[in-house]
Amino acid sequence: MRTTDSDRKHYPRESRLEDHSLMPPCQAACPLHMDIREYVDLVAQGKIMEALAVIRSTNPFPSVCAYVCTHSCEDACRRCLVDSAVSIKAIKRFALEFGGDRMIQTEAKTTHAEKVAIVGSGPAGLACAYYLRTMGYEVTVFEAHSEIGGMLRVGIPQYRLPREVLDIEEQRLIQMGVEIRTNTRVVSLDLLFEMGYKAVFITIGAHQSLRLGIEGEESTGVIDGATFLREVNLGLKPALGNSVAVVGGGNVAIDAARTALRLGSSDVTILYRRTRAEMPAADTEIEQAEEEGIKIEFLVAPIKVSRKSDQLTVTCIRMELGEPDEKGRRRPVPIDGSEFDMNFNSLITAIGQTPQNAAEFGVRTGRGSTIQVDPQTLITNKVGVFAGGDAVTGPATVVEALAAGKRAAQRIDDYVRHRYPIDKNGTVIMDGGLSEHTIEKIRKIERLEPPVTSSKTRAHDFKPVEQVYNWQAAVSEARRCLRCGMGAEILFQDKCASCLTCLRVCPYDVPYVDESGTIQIPAEQCQACGICIAECPAKAIVMRKPSSYLHINEELEHAIKSFNKSEFKPSIIGFCCQYGLFGTGTLANLWRGARAGIWIVPVLCVAKIEPGHILRAFELGAEGVFIAGCGEQCARENTNMWIGQRSAKVRKALYEIGLEQERLAILNTSGQNEDLTAILDDFTETISRLFLASVIMQEVKR
Amino acid sequence: MIVAERKPLDVIRQMIAPYAKVLIVGCGTCVTVCGAGGEREVSFLHDELRLAQAKNPDGMHTYSEYTIKRQCDPEFIDLLDAKAEDVDAIISLACGIGVQAVADHFPDIPVLPGVNTTFNGVSSEYGVWDERCATCGDCRLDETGGICPITRCTKGILNGPCAGPKDGKCEVSKDMDCAWVLIYQRLERLGQLDKMRRYYPARNYQVVPRPRRIVVKSNVTAGAENA
Repeated sequence: MRTTDSDRKHYPRESRLEDHSLMPPCQAACPLHMDIREYVDLVAQGKIMEALAVIRSTNPFPSVCAYVCTHSCEDACRRCLVDSAVSIKAIKRFALEFGGDRMIQTEAKTTHAEKVAIVGSGPAGLACAYYLRTMGYEVTVFEAHSEIGGMLRVGIPQYRLPREVLDIEEQRLIQMGVEIRTNTRVVSLDLLFEMGYKAVFITIGAHQSLRLGIEGEESTGVIDGATFLREVNLGLKPALGNSVAVVGGGNVAIDAARTALRLGSSDVTILYRRTRAEMPAADTEIEQAEEEGIKIEFLVAPIKVSRKSDQLTVTCIRMELGEPDEKGRRRPVPIDGSEFDMNFNSLITAIGQTPQNAAEFGVRTGRGSTIQVDPQTLITNKVGVFAGGDAVTGPATVVEALAAGKRAAQRIDDYVRHRYPIDKNGTVIMDGGLSEHTIEKIRKIERLEPPVTSSKTRAHDFKPVEQVYNWQAAVSEARRCLRCGMGAEILFQDKCASCLTCLRVCPYDVPYVDESGTIQIPAEQCQACGICIAECPAKAIVMRKPSSYLHINEELEHAIKSFNKSEFKPSIIGFCCQYGLFGTGTLANLWRGARAGIWIVPVLCVAKIEPGHILRAFELGAEGVFIAGCGEQCARENTNMWIGQRSAKVRKALYEIGLEQERLAILNTSGQNEDLTAILDDFTETISRLFLASVIMQEVKR
Repeated sequence: MIVAERKPLDVIRQMIAPYAKVLIVGCGTCVTVCGAGGEREVSFLHDELRLAQAKNPDGMHTYSEYTIKRQCDPEFIDLLDAKAEDVDAIISLACGIGVQAVADHFPDIPVLPGVNTTFNGVSSEYGVWDERCATCGDCRLDETGGICPITRCTKGILNGPCAGPKDGKCEVSKDMDCAWVLIYQRLERLGQLDKMRRYYPARNYQVVPRPRRIVVKSNVTAGAENA
């Protein structure tokens, strides 16, 4: 019998439960501010469905981002300072594929009378449609081409973004009730307003290639990159001949070159007027292109094109790098007298794009024919007309377009509802790098790149190049996350006895005594291991993101409820590390009832288990308790030492209470599941013996 | 700082055996720092007692817990009034000072010590405590290079070392430094070895009257401020 009147809550318990976490650099860098830390952490725990839900909550088309995102999050990742960035994009792709993103259905109801027209169905337009529809507006998307997707459809080659991904997203939008009108070019905005649309969002993209402005550019055999990709993507097969030159160094140039290779041209050369360091294309794209056999000529610019029969003679000039321009890139300067001729069958120009006919709509345009909008309201000079995406910014990334669409949806909502347009963003961004001192103590784990198909086979077809992680690789890669900005915080300074325990137990030597004599735990250095929280004698420290810490008690109660209903005896509670394969693999097997009587309490690192948790498991009826960490997979080397410290304390208490010390076991696993099974068998046997003995003793006493 | 040690669970259980409702009171100062009676230890004792009760269902107890900032001052103890309203006993995890102060405050409730107040000491690493001061009331650290022979010499002798030390270690334990060897080395380093040559007369501990009291405020008679 147990009767307690436990009163432990003299400090408001809610303050322990509040999320004080700072926005990590990856989230801050993402134009959509996706909760990357959260979903990477969930993947590390093997909770793929939950990870998918987090991904979908902030990204309208995560499947598109999983293929083509330029991942500025990875550039901001502080793991770069330790070894290399966490492979966030590939983890997201894994979560989508394994979490069943294709099966997710989206629904929306019309709650507003106002209708909104969206001109252009690129990422910005579709994102805007998605969010406006979620808010309850009737939305119509007008698309001039035969299929929706804008640059996603006509710009990005299929080997980077399979078309069924777009088809699924289109179906989802239709399911939500978004009206899609393809083959419909909008010629007059006034007509749209007459049709009853309250607001119009122009996202016509930037489909017009810039011209080289050199002699002979009009020759047959010269084609611009955007037109070329559009023709290929809409099913045509332009005749290029065997040798092809591509002018430019951006992603479109690489896309055009790799597409030409896949169409059968065996000799593809990229001509770029600066060096590799200045190339704006993504590094992996350049590497993959080179692997496929594409040559890149640096510091070369065409100055004249002439045509003889089916041969193009491109006169080029050598360049050298001069003074930096306003963007900081060094300007290429031609070297006099270095002209030379190169022969190709065709020439693709890909030196930049601008919006096509933006001025047609009567909106004010600026530099490079881009539409000018108010930076806060996103409204153009015409009332009720908003614009966004490449049409405003010039060629940019997919994720930036999605973010522009999302923001436009909010601004259009504000406009229609007569609200003041402000961005609601209260989270503090964590800034500051890792100190040398901390970096030294963080365990180095090499980044796992997702597999790619071999360069020999992939160069001849349009099948996706990047493959998805397997379960093992995704979980291991997700575990590399440093979980920035969610670590320990001295929440109750008045309770802190300045005992220095946190400073002495931290495996990373993060806490320090500042000039005023106060103990500080700098958020940007903390690695969120939770050891100081379990050790603080005043209970003054909390996790900035408390969910991962406080749930031990909840999970324990859940397990106890389950075993009280079960008839399997004796009941054994196992505190097991939830991270990594150990958690997802072994735990899942135990959970399925392979070992009757064993109930698992998943823990996010066993270093967070306090002696009180173990005592409570015994108090609530467990006959035995074991702790199983992830062994050598752990991000810290001394986790076992802390488990040892705490279990020694518990064993002493068990002894004093009259319980056998063997009832608590620590399973030192090195991630090998067979060993664990054998160890568990032994432990179960021991507990069964003790349980039987205690039952007999009780009978004898009677 | 005062260093204390949790009493064994058996002892505590025997003490509280006659009382049904027990309040466990922690102290947020010295005993928190030395890990004997802070909020974490209060919770742990609470857990231990509940587990003991669950496994040996002979006595019926109800426990509650509370930790105050400092048990040696009455203003902080006032915060316990509501918590202690209908309890049968209080276990204080503070040092002997705290136990007595709480007992003073609640004359009708038995106040039981949950820790053994052990010494005044220092901690140089996680979980290790060393005695440093015997609170003799007559500090002579200036004469001994900042190393107290009364606490750090097992024999507490004032004119050391004795004949026992070997290789700088005490004859009582090979792991313990001889305080007088440390004093010699320190004085040598400070260039004050002449202090070793002086004789310090034995002190008469009998005359220290207990309990001691220190009054730092001046004794000013009312109305006599300008006198």
